[in-house]
Amino acid sequence: MSTINTTRKSNPYGKVGQVINELDDRLGLAKGGRTLLDKVFPDHWSFMLGEIALYSFVVLLVTGIFLTLFYVPSSTLVVYHGAYLPLVGQKISQAYASSVDLSFAVRGGLLMRQMHHWACDIFVGGILVHMARVFFTGAFRKPREGNWTIGTTLLVLSIAEGFLGYSLPDDLVSGTGIRIAYSIIESVPVVGTYIAFFLFGGNFPGTVVLGRFFIIHVLLIPLVLLGLVGAHLFMLVQQKHTQFPGKGRTEKNVVGTPMYPVFMAKTTGFLFIVGGAIALLGAFAQINPIWQFGFYEPARISYAVQPDFYMGFLDGILRIWPAWQFNAFGHTIPLEVTLPTVVFPTILFALVYAWPTIERKYTGDNELHNLLDRPSFRPKRTAVGVTMFVFLATIFVGSSTDVIANFFKVSLNTVLVEMRVLTFVLPALAYPITLKICKEMQGFSGAGKRKTTNIVTRTEEGEYVATPAPVYVDDAHEELDALPVPTFVVEEDETMVSTGVRRAER
Amino acid sequence: MKLRHTPLLLIATALVAGPLVLFADAAGAGTSSSPAITYQTSRINAGTPNSTNVTKDPKTGAITSYGDSAITYTVPSPALNALGQSLYLQNCASCHGTEANGVPADGTQGAYPNLQGLGAATIDFWIASGRMPAADPRSVQAERRVPRLTDQQAVAISAWVNSLAPSYPAIPSVNVKDGNYSNGQALFALNCAACHTIEGAGDALAFDTYAPSLRHIPGYQIVEAIRSGPGNMPRFTGNLSDAQVRDIVKYVTSYVQHPQNPGGLGLGGLGPVAEGFVALLIGVGLLALAGYWVGERE
Amino acid sequence: MVEQVITGLFIFGLLFTLLFAVAFVQNWAPWTLGATLGTGMSLFGIGIIAWGKYLMPRGPFVEERHDLASSDEEREAFTAAIVERGGGVIKRRKFLAGLLGTGVGAFSIVSLFPWVRSLGPMPKGTLFHTDWGKGSYLVDISGRRINVSDLTIGSLVTVFPEGMEHTDNGQAVDQTVLIRVTNQDFTTRKGRETWAPQGYVAYSKLCTHLGCPVGLYEQELELLVCPCHQSMFNVTNGAMPTFGPAPRPLPQLPLMVDSNGFLQSQSDFHEPVGPGFWERS
Repeated sequence: MSTINTTRKSNPYGKVGQVINELDDRLGLAKGGRTLLDKVFPDHWSFMLGEIALYSFVVLLVTGIFLTLFYVPSSTLVVYHGAYLPLVGQKISQAYASSVDLSFAVRGGLLMRQMHHWACDIFVGGILVHMARVFFTGAFRKPREGNWTIGTTLLVLSIAEGFLGYSLPDDLVSGTGIRIAYSIIESVPVVGTYIAFFLFGGNFPGTVVLGRFFIIHVLLIPLVLLGLVGAHLFMLVQQKHTQFPGKGRTEKNVVGTPMYPVFMAKTTGFLFIVGGAIALLGAFAQINPIWQFGFYEPARISYAVQPDFYMGFLDGILRIWPAWQFNAFGHTIPLEVTLPTVVFPTILFALVYAWPTIERKYTGDNELHNLLDRPSFRPKRTAVGVTMFVFLATIFVGSSTDVIANFFKVSLNTVLVEMRVLTFVLPALAYPITLKICKEMQGFSGAGKRKTTNIVTRTEEGEYVATPAPVYVDDAHEELDALPVPTFVVEEDETMVSTGVRRAER
Repeated sequence: MKLRHTPLLLIATALVAGPLVLFADAAGAGTSSSPAITYQTSRINAGTPNSTNVTKDPKTGAITSYGDSAITYTVPSPALNALGQSLYLQNCASCHGTEANGVPADGTQGAYPNLQGLGAATIDFWIASGRMPAADPRSVQAERRVPRLTDQQAVAISAWVNSLAPSYPAIPSVNVKDGNYSNGQALFALNCAACHTIEGAGDALAFDTYAPSLRHIPGYQIVEAIRSGPGNMPRFTGNLSDAQVRDIVKYVTSYVQHPQNPGGLGLGGLGPVAEGFVALLIGVGLLALAGYWVGERE
Repeated sequence: MVEQVITGLFIFGLLFTLLFAVAFVQNWAPWTLGATLGTGMSLFGIGIIAWGKYLMPRGPFVEERHDLASSDEEREAFTAAIVERGGGVIKRRKFLAGLLGTGVGAFSIVSLFPWVRSLGPMPKGTLFHTDWGKGSYLVDISGRRINVSDLTIGSLVTVFPEGMEHTDNGQAVDQTVLIRVTNQDFTTRKGRETWAPQGYVAYSKLCTHLGCPVGLYEQELELLVCPCHQSMFNVTNGAMPTFGPAPRPLPQLPLMVDSNGFLQSQSDFHEPVGPGFWERS
């Protein structure tokens, strides 16, 4: 016979069983599905940070689709006739008009715009804290260098995506940012003007840039992001998550909660919490009030204009960089632009990409690692990370020299010189201080663990002695022995049901 | 931790104290680090264009007011001169000299500005905004403060000083009823936002000077500032008509001073940096705390 | 106890979600939409997590990690399959393989041509010159010509060549600040004796750092400050940068006065305006 016999024993679980039977006939998903449901996820709280990024990405997608249904990516001028009086009668671009209409004329539009923008800031912020956790615990080591590369690419793409996104409304603040971006592209030696002219369809501003930014922001980068996030999660499932060393945890196992139902419940709940937090921010905290800025005209400018925080480090380093240039043989390289905004970020991200290799070369450690490091137990790596963070934070603060000067009533020129000094001094101080703190924490047993109470007694000589108090049963933070995930099917034969799951006797 | 036993505390103290010392040094020595400031002592072509409805005193022929329905400039009455002079001698002569020509009693020429020929509106602006009498005569830029003299006293002083060398602009009163918000917004964005920011929050400029916030300035003082160009502010005369200035005043006194914030808290109008802090500290911070609850400690 | 809390969370979550529907239909203030939706979602989320955390079987559970790496035999077999099967094919027809490689390589390069070249014109034109020419009248944003009697000392106005004030491309490149520095003819630098008649000085408004409009003028300091990164230019000596990251001065526009007192430009700027780029000599 040339047909495949599909009469099987009926599934004892009724309707649900029948559905599973039908699906399994076609897709063979029972075996793999069981493995998936039994997968164990370590559930240390710091592993939730990546989920902040993941779920804010989901919010971005949902709110973003709503926005695309109203936004018009065109610089064609229209006369505004809407609710915001200071714009009525002015000739503004359709992009700006549609964004203002979204804010005032579409029900729920302002909420969607604000949720989208807050979700973007939280997305990049979540990536950064997640990346910091991965770095400081050494989770990027073999076999996870690929995931580190994917993650860094996600960071770069999310920063670019954010810049493109907030430039779409064509308001005064983001239009200034586009002008600066154009000049940065121009500054690249030899090919800069070509790239700028090709990308913008001519000299600044041209008429095509909004349309091109739109399609890159709405289609191209989200596709890549989705693919990379998928690959990131796939590798996570394939290689299984890392875990901190502790009771019952070895390089060869994973201890935590099973995927179904506990982990799925927690993660779904977390999705709602992230969405809820973004919605609350979108309700109570105004972000990017483009109507107050007015539309972008190349001759207009506002003081105290800054990019969103994830681009702030570039603004800061531009302000503090000295006025260097290379001008010879009939050519100019504006070093005061090329060095801080082209060369420096390239070197920075090259360092980040290469870090697993650098660390491997430096430590000579080619082993597989599934257990994480405590940051204080790797003082040099932790110190390097803190130094880099302090350096980036300092130049980020440098992007607000005028606000600092205004707030503290100090000369703007002095603040700038200060920031130049601090850019070198603070990281130079951060490294040895972090190193020392880590080394001291290593020596202090129980560092990072819960405090226990002590009973202080006075000896006859007058000395005070502290002894740990007996721990009450209800207080005790016991680490339970890890159990294998319980199975509920009584098997006839002795072979395993699926990989990775031991049977427990009931 | 044995932090107190290590030189770390010294390093940390130096780290905090060092910048403070530098800041303190800069704040006190502002004048020594900035270039020599030359005071403007003569203004010609001082006047507002498109001036109509000039009314003159029938007896003396002196101009008493000019302007149009948008802004009316009134020269303060000479009847206030006596009061103005006595107030001036009490409050201003020690720096600006008894002749209001910038030569104080000790004879140093040019130490303080010559007030003659600047127009009544200029004098009135500095006094009514509380900047004068100066709290610190040696500071680079006087701050807006609660005025020490009343509005009437300010007008009286400006009457007397103006009488020494009559000039423009006179004291304005602005009627915003027929003003256009859109024109105001467009003019504000092109001419004013570069120093005062598009939200009118003000910010620091070069060498200890600053553009003040526009949040609390009354409408007529906006006109006075635009027409007289106080301190480092440019003086906008022939390039802005009275109707345009009125539109700017209408926009500033409504949408800049009382911004619609339908999206929630305005976060100070400080833009993306404040938003970034909220996103990171409140957004990611609270969510990380939520994660702390969701996950396990070990 | 936990069950009761979770019940309460879900009930209130449901209430707030329904309240969102009411707020939407009734068109209440924008903040109510986000407040109701956000509170509802958050309460649901907290409830679901509490259920998962406190009511479901608590762990910890353990799962074995199997070696990711395959066995040595499998690795060898896989590599052999690639190298020998593929290599065998190529080794027998080296010439064809070479041609194929060349073709694919060429394709991957030439297929990029439309993606690069077709997107825009070659860099020229307004990168090197503006619309200012001999006899262009200076007009403000409303199109009104500037007369020598218009501005007083310490005044500044943004000007454009007549006709270009409302085009984005014109504004972007032609924008110029006109400042009255004094009352007499003014010389900023040697060779520019005729450029500033009656104290009117004009500089390109495009900052030579990154192209932001330098609209911030401090009249007593005689300093143009760029609002973006605080480059400071001295207007009395040809806008030489005295502080901040800009290394090049703002190009100065040579001015002249016509018989009616209106200001005109003598010619275009003597150098490209705006930020630096490779071809700028």
